[in-house]
Parts: sequence; C-alpha cells; structure tokens
Amino acid sequence: MNVKMSPRAVRELARAWAIAKKDLRIYYLRPGLIMFGILFPVFLFLSFAVGRDVSPVVLVPGFVAMTIFFSASSTGPMSVPTERKTKTYDRLLTAPVSPVSILLGQTLAGFFFAVAISAIPLLIGIQWYGVGVTSVAALVAGICLASFGFSAMGIMFAAMPTDNPGDVMMVLNFVRLPLLFVSGIFVPIEAMGGFGFAAALSPLTFPVDLLRYAFGGVCYYGVAWDLVGIFAFTALFFALGVFLHERNRKKA
Amino acid sequence: MNAIEVEGLTKRFGDFTAVNDISFEVGEGEIFGFLGPNGAGKTTTIRMLTGLTVPTSGTAMIMGHDIQREPFIAKEAFGTVPEVSNVYDDLSAWNNLMFAGELYGMPRGRRVDRATSLLERANLAGFKDKKAKGFSKGMKRKLTIAMAMMNDPHVLFLDEPSSGLDVQSALELQKALREMNSAGTTIFLTTHNIEDANVMCDRVAIIVGGRLAAVDSPERLKATIQGTRSVRVAFGGNSADIEDALTKISKVSRVAREGDKWRLYTDEPSVVLDGVFMCAQGKGLELLSVNTVGPSLEDVFLLLVGGEPR
Repeated sequence: MNVKMSPRAVRELARAWAIAKKDLRIYYLRPGLIMFGILFPVFLFLSFAVGRDVSPVVLVPGFVAMTIFFSASSTGPMSVPTERKTKTYDRLLTAPVSPVSILLGQTLAGFFFAVAISAIPLLIGIQWYGVGVTSVAALVAGICLASFGFSAMGIMFAAMPTDNPGDVMMVLNFVRLPLLFVSGIFVPIEAMGGFGFAAALSPLTFPVDLLRYAFGGVCYYGVAWDLVGIFAFTALFFALGVFLHERNRKKA
Repeated sequence: MNAIEVEGLTKRFGDFTAVNDISFEVGEGEIFGFLGPNGAGKTTTIRMLTGLTVPTSGTAMIMGHDIQREPFIAKEAFGTVPEVSNVYDDLSAWNNLMFAGELYGMPRGRRVDRATSLLERANLAGFKDKKAKGFSKGMKRKLTIAMAMMNDPHVLFLDEPSSGLDVQSALELQKALREMNSAGTTIFLTTHNIEDANVMCDRVAIIVGGRLAAVDSPERLKATIQGTRSVRVAFGGNSADIEDALTKISKVSRVAREGDKWRLYTDEPSVVLDGVFMCAQGKGLELLSVNTVGPSLEDVFLLLVGGEPR
C-alpha cells in the first residue's frame, strides 16, 4: 500500500520531531527524571520482589511495564513546567507549529526515553531471572505502545498550570502509585478476586498483560484486547492532553 | 497591506478588563512603539498579537492573516523577542539557532547559512559551541533576537527589548533594530524607555488602563502639548533659596529639579531667559548652561497616563 502524506502532515511531523530531539538533548539527564524515571521503579520492584516466591514470568513483565510506566510518564511533567518557568514554552507556542504537534513532539521524547530505559529491566530479567522471550512481536509492541501511551499520560498531567515540576510529580504519584497495585504487577489479575474489575480501569494493566504474553505465552485478557486497551488509553490521554493544554492557553 | 491590523481587540480575565477594545494599524516597514505604564495592557496585547493568548473579542491580523483563524500562516510571518530572554540554557548558541530554524521548517542548508550570518552579526560567532547557560544577560538577549530573526520574518515583536541591558548593549540593540528595519522588517516594540521610543519609532501608541490613549508620531504627539515648553538651567554654585528665586521669575508656572539642573516651565521662554540671567547675577552664581526645551515624549506620556509633566 502506498501511503502518501500531505505536505501539511509532513511539515507538522518534522516540527514535532525537532521538539522531540530538543527535549532528548536537554532533559534526560536531569536528576528529577533519573530519580522518578529509573531509580524509583527499580527500588520499588526490588522491595516487592526480593524474598518473594513469585515466578519470574510474572515478575519480569511487571518490572518492565512498571519501569516504562514511571520513566515515560515522568518526562512531560519534568520538561513542560521547566519550559514554562524559563519561558521557552512560549517559543513553541509562537512558532508555526500546531498544539497537536507540540504535544506529539514532547510525547515522542518520552517515548524514546522510556524505550531506551526499558532495556535495563529487560536485561535484568533475561540475565538474572533467566526468562525467555516467547513472542518478540508482543514484546516490541508492548514496550513501544506502553512507552508512547504513558508518555502521553505524563504530558496530560503536565497541563497543570504550574512552572514547578514537583507540583506535577506530586499529583502524578498520587495517581501512579495506587495503579501499581491494581494492574497485575505484584498480584496477578486472576488472583485479585473481587478486585479484578479494577484492573480493567488501569492503563497499566494492558501493557503488563501483553508483556506477560511476550515472556510466558499466556495473558489474562488476550493480545487483541490488550492492544485495544492500550490504544484506547493512549488516545484518551493524548486527546485530553491537547484539550487541557489548549484550555490553559485560552485562559492565559 | 498593513503589517499588523488590530480591530476591537479585548481581553478580559473574569471581571477585570486588561485590554479594552483597542484598534490600530502598523504599516509595512514601520518601527512602532507601544508605550504604557505597568499593568496598562502592553504585554497582554503583544501576547494576543503573537497567538500566546486568545482575545475575548476582536481580531489581530499579521501580514493579512488572522492570528486566531490562520495561526500557521500568520506565525510564519513573524518572530518574537519576549521580555525574558528565552534561550535554551542547556543548548549551545548554534543548537539554539538550529532548533529555532527547525520550528520554521527551514531546510538544513539555509539554517546553517542563516545561523552563521546571525551569529557574526550578533558578535557571538566565537561562542557558537558554548552552552547559553554561561552567557551574560546581553549575550542571551542577542541570541534571543538572533533566534527570532532565523526565519527572516516580515514582522518582529519585541517586548521590552532593552530590559536589563547596560547602556552599551542597549545602544547596540538599537543599532541592530535599525539595521533590521532598513532591511525591510517591520518592528513592533513595547517599552518603558520613552527615549528609546522617541529616537527609534516612526509612530507610537500609548495604552493606559487597557485603552489606547493616543497613536501618532512622536513629534505630532509632542506638538499637541506645546504649552509645556521650558527652560533648563544649570548653575556653577549653590544658593539655599535658589528654588524660591527661580519660582518668582516672571512667566514661570512651575520649577522642577532635574539632577544638577533646574527646569522652569513657561509659555514664554524668552521672558524667562532674561529672568534667569538676572537671578544668576543677583545670587552671584555662574551659569553653566541654559537651554530652551520643547515638550518631550515623556511629557506627553505622563500627561496621558494622568501624571504631571516633570
């Protein structure tokens, strides 16, 4: 199939890519991002995994998904308020770039960061826990889609009208931490009993389930429903992000 | 075609009206100054003109394109220099310029040529690969202006461009703006510095309490208050009752001290000059300088914003 993009779409994508490159150059060695995006999920995982008799096929997908969840969703809350403080965000808003492309660029930056960071739990899982990958396609899809979706989630939270990254992180953690416990990371969904319905309301559930399929060949919802779940939450986060950022601009 | 056309522009924040139904045009190639006291609505206006905020009502056209309805085309036509220099501290001067060019979709070759030329013009070529975080305020200002000029804009918006600059940097900035204007760029600047506006602008608008109080050339605005002429005098020595003596000179309506000088407001400077010479003789003071002074743009400004001419 020959897909031809309109010149407008090519132009918008090029500018979104420029924003993503700029964010990758500037923000991804910031202490706050290393803390919340890498160290926090690693220590959280260790505190739950060490000493527990849980199969690596259950632990490792949760570890990978959780690392992506934290790293991808931390990038927007770090970069957007910082740019508001330094007034560089105004530079983006006065440039001939649509609001969708600005947010797409920032989401792409979080996506690439999280994909790169996912190598850490992946290597730990393969080397230390000895898990094998049974579906490379599901692994790649799980990592990539989750990275994009959670990055869009972070950008959505970054619509909070503040120029202090800590303000956004505080609210974000208030949401992120409870989600860890209903998404099948530490307790498999099938073992959650009456709370199993809550899993379907968490955006983290579907990447965890898809990655579980990638490592062990079994999943709770099925690959198709996992993909539907990831796509639905990603679309929701991105659309809501665009809406909230635009609403703030109109109020400003 | 006008470079900027503003019609009935209004911005309300709840019950507070920051900008109230303002209309004006800026011709192509003009240097247009936007003056006003703090909180008058200057920055809100420039934010509406550049698409940073949405007007409550009214329209703003940049090179014939509505900033709200056709933001993409309108934004292609201008560059902005905000009050705070908004460069990326963690990027080098070169990468800041490359990024600015990418936001305008400039091909790499053109970006490289333009960035090289702008860095040379801004005397920043030697700092090309240095991160902006180590730059002085003046260097960051120059880099911000260079970034705004990357796409060779038809219109350049500057919000308080000389804010925080030392005298030499401010003069260099004035020179650079004149060169850009000579090359065809329309310049819209907000400023507190009335002398900047006086010497640089073809026309100025004065905004007070969100409403436009006047739009005209500096000289025409001064001509509207010809009554406030004055004589400025500096004496070589001092006398305790000099202010009283100057106030008593015939036809002097008011006396104001300006540093080591005195300013005597009058409708008839020639009469006052005689009085000044007699006063100096009577007090045994040396006359260092005497000038007759017409109304300044600052006098116009103060009159319009509700203060008294100094």
